[in-house]
Amino acid sequence: MEFLLEINTEEIPPSHVKTALEQLREKFEAELTSSEIAVRELRTFGTCRRLVVVGDLAEGQRDREEVIVGPPKAVAFAPDGSPSKAAYGFAKAQAVEVERLEVIKTEKGEYLGLKKIKKGKPTQEILQKSIPQIILSLSFPKMMRWGEGAIRFSRPIRNILCLFGEKLLPFSVEGITSADSTTGHKLHFPQKIKTKSFREYREALREKKVVIEEEERRKMILAQMETKLAPLKEEVHPDLELVERLVYDLEYPYVFLGSFPEEYLRLPLEVLSTAMREGQKLFSVVRDRKQLPYFLGVADNYRDPKSLIQKGNERVLRARLVDAQFFWEQDLKFSFKQMAPGLRRIIFQEKLGSYEDKAQRLKKIVAYLCDKIEAGKIKKEAIQAAELCKVDLLTGMVREFPSLQGKIGGLYARDKGYPVIVSQAIYEHYQPIGLEDESPSSLAGAVLSMADKIDSIVGILGVGIQLTGSSDPFGLRRNALGICKIILDKKLCLSLSRFLDKALAIYGEKVEKPKEEIKCFCLDFFSSRLRYIYEKKGYRYDLINAALGAGIDNIYYSFLRVKALDALKTSAQFEPLILIAKRVNNILRDQPAYKINADLFLEKEERELFSTFSIIEDNVCPMISKGDFSQAQKFIFRIQSSLNNFFDRILVMAEEKRLRQNRLALLQAIKKLLFQIADYSQIVVEGEK
Amino acid sequence: MSIQNLIINLQKFWADQGCYLAQPYDLEVGAGTMTPDTFFRVLDKRFWKVAYVQPARRPTDGRYGENPHRVQKHFQYQVIIKPSPSDIQQIYIKSLISLGISLEDHDLRFDEDDWESPTIGAWGVGWQVLLDGLEITQFTYFQQAGGIDLSPVPVEITYGLERLEMFLEGKDNIYDLDWSSDTLYRDLRLREEKEFSEYNFNQASIEIIQKSFILSEKEASRLIQRNLLLPAYDLCLKCSHYFNILDSRGAISVTERVKMIARIRALVTQIAQKYTAKEASL
Repeated sequence: MEFLLEINTEEIPPSHVKTALEQLREKFEAELTSSEIAVRELRTFGTCRRLVVVGDLAEGQRDREEVIVGPPKAVAFAPDGSPSKAAYGFAKAQAVEVERLEVIKTEKGEYLGLKKIKKGKPTQEILQKSIPQIILSLSFPKMMRWGEGAIRFSRPIRNILCLFGEKLLPFSVEGITSADSTTGHKLHFPQKIKTKSFREYREALREKKVVIEEEERRKMILAQMETKLAPLKEEVHPDLELVERLVYDLEYPYVFLGSFPEEYLRLPLEVLSTAMREGQKLFSVVRDRKQLPYFLGVADNYRDPKSLIQKGNERVLRARLVDAQFFWEQDLKFSFKQMAPGLRRIIFQEKLGSYEDKAQRLKKIVAYLCDKIEAGKIKKEAIQAAELCKVDLLTGMVREFPSLQGKIGGLYARDKGYPVIVSQAIYEHYQPIGLEDESPSSLAGAVLSMADKIDSIVGILGVGIQLTGSSDPFGLRRNALGICKIILDKKLCLSLSRFLDKALAIYGEKVEKPKEEIKCFCLDFFSSRLRYIYEKKGYRYDLINAALGAGIDNIYYSFLRVKALDALKTSAQFEPLILIAKRVNNILRDQPAYKINADLFLEKEERELFSTFSIIEDNVCPMISKGDFSQAQKFIFRIQSSLNNFFDRILVMAEEKRLRQNRLALLQAIKKLLFQIADYSQIVVEGEK
Repeated sequence: MSIQNLIINLQKFWADQGCYLAQPYDLEVGAGTMTPDTFFRVLDKRFWKVAYVQPARRPTDGRYGENPHRVQKHFQYQVIIKPSPSDIQQIYIKSLISLGISLEDHDLRFDEDDWESPTIGAWGVGWQVLLDGLEITQFTYFQQAGGIDLSPVPVEITYGLERLEMFLEGKDNIYDLDWSSDTLYRDLRLREEKEFSEYNFNQASIEIIQKSFILSEKEASRLIQRNLLLPAYDLCLKCSHYFNILDSRGAISVTERVKMIARIRALVTQIAQKYTAKEASL
């Protein structure tokens, strides 16, 4: 039978709609499974004003045989086989004649008991109880109360439509009684619409300007955009994130094309598109990275016959552009040198000082990085960029559009004639903002971005600010992720540990916690960011563990390690190599370190292993230091036969102490070499299962 | 429709909804929310319906009368209804229709925008209402004020009168708006904007304002001890306004900002607690 639930609300934020629909689906599935109601179909739909669940459910639970166990057989019958007092007592308690009882075999022995057919409950009865609980159990990132009620929800619930088998399913949730009607679009059809079935409901709503299917609304938006742009002969490159937001932000999409005076095209693309996106959620129309004097907007309506919506939006956008133009001109009246002293007034963090202090530190970190990654050529420009990169925090434009920080600084620097390397580094130094965002394209930008991020990480952790699951006010996780991403994208080789030392040393006394402690924490912190990145890239968890286990001091190498392991995993060598590594590991467990004495190798097999190992080591070490872990792995595999012979013929744990220790020392050397490639003991192979 | 007719229309509409029509409060406030007709009345359990115009001062928004949209003083139309009625959104929509806006030809959106005023320990959940992309109203279900959970929950509807009027007249410049049939916004407000911008940004004596802040703070504290909560609250409003002027003079660093706001909030929180305790014992 058809089940239909619609929770009608005031406008729920788009992200809340998505989580609500997921939760509704999960909770209904769980409820129906646990109450053993057969489900043929269960679907959800949603807009900002309604959360909908539709299902095809059995009319009721299946009937079930229920067994009630009474007294043990031995107690239940008198010696003559007639029912005992205990048996009569049980029958009475169950309100049946004693004749209805029967002997039931259980694991614990035989008992007298009663078999009953338990009639399944009607689905309606079960839903009546569970729906209010499900609705009340939905959770949102931020919840609210309204009126006199005690319910907490994303936004006020105004109506609940619930039908089962074409009839009203009556229940109430904290004063809201379920109904067999809903309302249409809030402007076009706020009156009641009665309905009996999902089909009727969906069609009636469509007519009343509500499209409940998110996929349908998405299609409508994209198709209309294409139509509107067709006369301009433009290809549509809609900002998909914004489309996604809008899909859940309205009930009936209407796309309109608007324009603005060409004089504003003098403003940079970044400023124009931000002015459009933020607030009015408009799409900029772009050809070859050049802004055209047009925009697209999406209204919650089905038409705009008098172009009122378009004209209204044009007016609002023009006002924003007037502001932006004003800021652009005002800001450019001052040179960076004139503005820079203002950074003293902006606090980065109370204990860590102002943004001027930060800029001074960044100059030093940037200089260090340029030396380490052999980027001497851009050192001078990178340092200059470090000095200037935060100045845009003082501009009217960044105050108006905070998301443009960095970019604005870069644009102003370009306008003022600073070298391209400087302006580009400033422009890019917040990138990447997430894993999806791009790393800085320039090396100077990459260096400055890393410097800014490491400075924040060690500083904030250094004054004892704790990160919790939900709280990361300075975005340290994102910062660490950014550093890792830049290193991987740019294939940079540098020692993380010394990088941290340097950043900490530059802070000097300002950092209160012991530097070693901060460093240890940071190494762990980076390790978990890397794990996250590798998981996102789809590598197997045990390969990730093995690669990270070999150390993350060189972040780029840790990635080469995962890649090498991943490439090896399908080869025939994979399993034997890992088993060798594990065997070596096992034998060495709890052994102190010993030194090899080549003169003490007496047996042929150990002499052979030692010499094979020496050759392998000589060859493999340069590969490892070059980061060629694939080649190193292949080469190291040549130890297999000597090592197998060694294990077959030689008693490692010899009686003679010196011999024993020398053999252990050889194995330790092998282990050490293996460990420079990966911690193979972390890898799970078929052979072990 | 002129601004004064807009006000007359809204007064009529909300009076018909059973609201008591209050008059503007006679102290500088940053928003209608801060006036006693809102702040105190949302704290207790009693039902409350009020509507009024409230001038709101935001010194940093001053532009010497040169920006067509930003002013250091603007007018809000403030509505508080406690508890929030279940059809309040439709009532609000009707209020727009009553102004002669044929909404079916427009795009009316409730865009997620939770509101917060750390100075008076208040926050709420709601939307900015956009009409063809123009923000005309802040629509909020008040959750806390003075650090106290509000129950029943009031709804606060704050119309930006100038914004709404710009929509109604289809004008791009605030100073071109008609206040009445023969008086322009410019005639009434331009000189005030110029002079106050100069005062707020350049002339206000930092020393005197800082002292005034401290004196008002002390006095508020003393009055709280004497259980004179309404006068104490007035002094908090003065503190808040002095704070805003210091801010526009660029005399407050980021850390000082947080500390000064916390100082005012501490006083306001005490006032709210004492006020509700008193209410409960009545």
